[in-house]
Amino acid sequence: MPRYLVGRLAAMVGVLLLVCLFTYAVFFLLSPDPAVQVCGKNCTPERIDQIRANLGLDRPFWTQFLTFLGGLVAGRTYGEGAGAVECAAPCLGYSFQSSQSVTDMIGQRLPVSATIAVGAAVLWLLVGVVSGLVGAVKQGTWVDRVLTGLTLGGLSIPNYVLALVLQYVLVVQLQWLPFPQAVPFGEDPGRWFLNFVMPWIVLAVGYAAAYTRLTRANVIDTLQENFLRTARAKGLAPRLVWRRHALRPALTPVVTVFGMDFAGLLGGALITETVFGLNGVGKMAADSIAKNDQPVIMGVTLLAAFFVVVGNVVVDVVYTVIDPRVRVAA
Amino acid sequence: MKRHLTTTLALATTAALALGACNGGGATSGRTGAAAVDFAATPAKGGTVEVLQNADFSYLDPARGWDGGVNNFYRLVYRTLTTPAPGNAKDPNAIVPDLATGLGTPSDGGKTWTYTLKDGLAFEDGTPITSAEVKFGISRAWDPEIGIGSPYAKNVIAAPHGYAGPYRSGDLPTIETPDATTIVFHLKKPFPEFDAVVGQVNMTPFPKGSGAGDSFIKKIIASGPYKLAAYTPGSLIQLERNPKWDPATDQVRTAKPDAWRFTMGLDPATIDERLLAGQGTDANAIAGTIQASTLPRLQAPQYKDRVLRMSGICTTYMSLNTTKKPLDDVRVRQAINYAVDKAAVQNATGGTQLATIATTVVPTTVAGHKDYDLYPSPGHKGDAEAAKKLLAEAGQSQGFSMVLDIRSQPKMQKQAEAIQQSLKPIGIDVKLNVIDTSKYYETIGTRSQQHDAAITGWCPDWASSAATFIPPLFYGPTITDKGNPNLAQLDDPAINKRIDEVGAMTDLAAANRQWGELDEQVMKLAPIVPLNVEQAVYLPGRNVAGLFASPGAATGGIDFVLVGLRDPDES
Repeated sequence: MPRYLVGRLAAMVGVLLLVCLFTYAVFFLLSPDPAVQVCGKNCTPERIDQIRANLGLDRPFWTQFLTFLGGLVAGRTYGEGAGAVECAAPCLGYSFQSSQSVTDMIGQRLPVSATIAVGAAVLWLLVGVVSGLVGAVKQGTWVDRVLTGLTLGGLSIPNYVLALVLQYVLVVQLQWLPFPQAVPFGEDPGRWFLNFVMPWIVLAVGYAAAYTRLTRANVIDTLQENFLRTARAKGLAPRLVWRRHALRPALTPVVTVFGMDFAGLLGGALITETVFGLNGVGKMAADSIAKNDQPVIMGVTLLAAFFVVVGNVVVDVVYTVIDPRVRVAA
Repeated sequence: MKRHLTTTLALATTAALALGACNGGGATSGRTGAAAVDFAATPAKGGTVEVLQNADFSYLDPARGWDGGVNNFYRLVYRTLTTPAPGNAKDPNAIVPDLATGLGTPSDGGKTWTYTLKDGLAFEDGTPITSAEVKFGISRAWDPEIGIGSPYAKNVIAAPHGYAGPYRSGDLPTIETPDATTIVFHLKKPFPEFDAVVGQVNMTPFPKGSGAGDSFIKKIIASGPYKLAAYTPGSLIQLERNPKWDPATDQVRTAKPDAWRFTMGLDPATIDERLLAGQGTDANAIAGTIQASTLPRLQAPQYKDRVLRMSGICTTYMSLNTTKKPLDDVRVRQAINYAVDKAAVQNATGGTQLATIATTVVPTTVAGHKDYDLYPSPGHKGDAEAAKKLLAEAGQSQGFSMVLDIRSQPKMQKQAEAIQQSLKPIGIDVKLNVIDTSKYYETIGTRSQQHDAAITGWCPDWASSAATFIPPLFYGPTITDKGNPNLAQLDDPAINKRIDEVGAMTDLAAANRQWGELDEQVMKLAPIVPLNVEQAVYLPGRNVAGLFASPGAATGGIDFVLVGLRDPDES
């Protein structure tokens, strides 16, 4: 097990390095000159050269890339003398648009994205897995058919449409909820809940529908397995058959998918955040892409990659716990 | 597959947001006739004004930031020697004294300017504001990393060769401070409008030694009526009263509200919804211009009286590259001026509510504007006959094709299509060259990369004269290979000479009349086709008053320094 973990961690670092290199190369090769963007109105060629030198853009690709990696691991200093700016590790550089530290920007916005992701995940897991199970048990009945219809609906509504409809009905017309704002939990738990509940619902609907189908299909498949027939034939109580033998293998794929989905969401729920004006990592990604703010795009990309890679490892480890068949020989 | 779709949708949403951000800046005077809501009412003291925004301000540091949006914000927290007059002034385009007791006194043939500071000025930390702090703040403009805002200090005030700001090069000897209230500037050459230069936002005073590196990125030192109470970049700015600000020293800011809250990062459509609904504290809210898609809803009776329009100070125009054939022939350029259907372009911009048609270079909202139309047509729909006649005279009756550079932005694409349509009947085949928004100005400002024509806009750096409107666009000697604003590449000896002469006039009122004449003289050469001037449509909360336009401080939009609440206790 430890050797397995070390191997996985090494592979994880490798993947992150590759993502780094790839993202950096894409922006290096494809994007317009950031010095010109920083320069703005009334820009002179001398000032462009000056900015290029300050940002290190006049140096070769590999030098820039290694400096970036160095900053990530050990921090770096921009400029020199009285104007020097210390950027502590993990240094992701400074926004070309606002000169804010990218690490700080992410730090400020991650709690918002995490709140949205966790709340939505709880919601969709509860709704998705329960209705999937109900659908499987009541297979073929009207209950199952209603659930199938709802999931189709849930999957087919684009979430920005749902967001705007919900906002119009719940906020503008009924005035049950406020226009969502990122109120911290510590400030006022009640207002926190009221402000986040709509984003949670919007984000969870699509996932809940997908999880319903996934759970239902897996459970139905599992119920037809030989070992379940054996268990039933042995005369085991139906409740025990379900709990001990059916649910575990049926839900393993759900865990895998959940790990990936949730990890992906920690990197920002782009549409939900943008529509509701919640300043999370996803909205930051959208804004930075619109403004071509490379250091921020880099930072968000790396963050998202980090969560997905870590999520993957976690899923694999959890897998070994819940599914004896994939346990690695130590 | 789902992931891919998500990304595509996200990008589409993002593009819409970027558009929204652009609209936010633009916008003169809100005279909406007999409105039931008195926007100009004097607000009461107290309360919190809410500002809903899509994008954060560029920088809190005035040496770094310099655009219509942030300049307006700066006036709440910073003061300068002079500043644009408040929006309710008799002449809102004028430059008036702020920290100084009066406008500057020129001497030495206009190369030396002297200002005297008022008494009782202090920063939020209690440090008195003397001539030394004013000088220190201004010298930050020379710092290569910090001084990225307004270029006027560096361009106009003399400085030793290689001077790089107070943190690297120390004292700036060309600004003298003989005593605590006197400050003397030595210029490179006479600059009659120096009062407008010291009103630039990067002329803000700061305590000596402060503001090095990135220290003003998140914190500031206020000299105006408000100071920073909280700042979450991209999300929230809260301002509270600066008790060290003495209202007796300030004739510009009324500072009625106790606090300001800027909520940023909101979707433009959501902002409109909140303004329409006006629930809770949104009754105390103002925002940028309404989205074009929300406009029809404003026709409803409950909103009609709440709509406030202000016209911008920027002209949207199509430049005609005078170095390319056959656009080098003035008759061809005049023909295009006749032929373009400006009404269709206005429609493409969002209709009569969001834009007014332009026939001059300098818009009505900027001093130096002269009313004329050299290329008239009924309803501004274009005069194809007059155009054809001119083309025939130029030997171009068989027609030609030309390339029009445009930004990859829906509004500009629609404008370009309207132009394309209106030039087709006179035999000009317009090909559109769509350039990515982020590379647009760089591309068209590079002489070797620009094509025959381009759609762009120009906003003056101050509204008290046309000196930052006509010269950058039409002065031949300053044409550069890169970053060139003279897109027509007009280099006409007569125009150049007049620009030199009018720019040197010390009687600014007389100069403004001359700028108007020069505007018309330029348009006789037809280097551009003025298209329109965008207007902002606001829907201020019911409880907000003191709404005046400021051409100088807010590019024609709502002047923050006069805004307040009718009834601070209501919410």
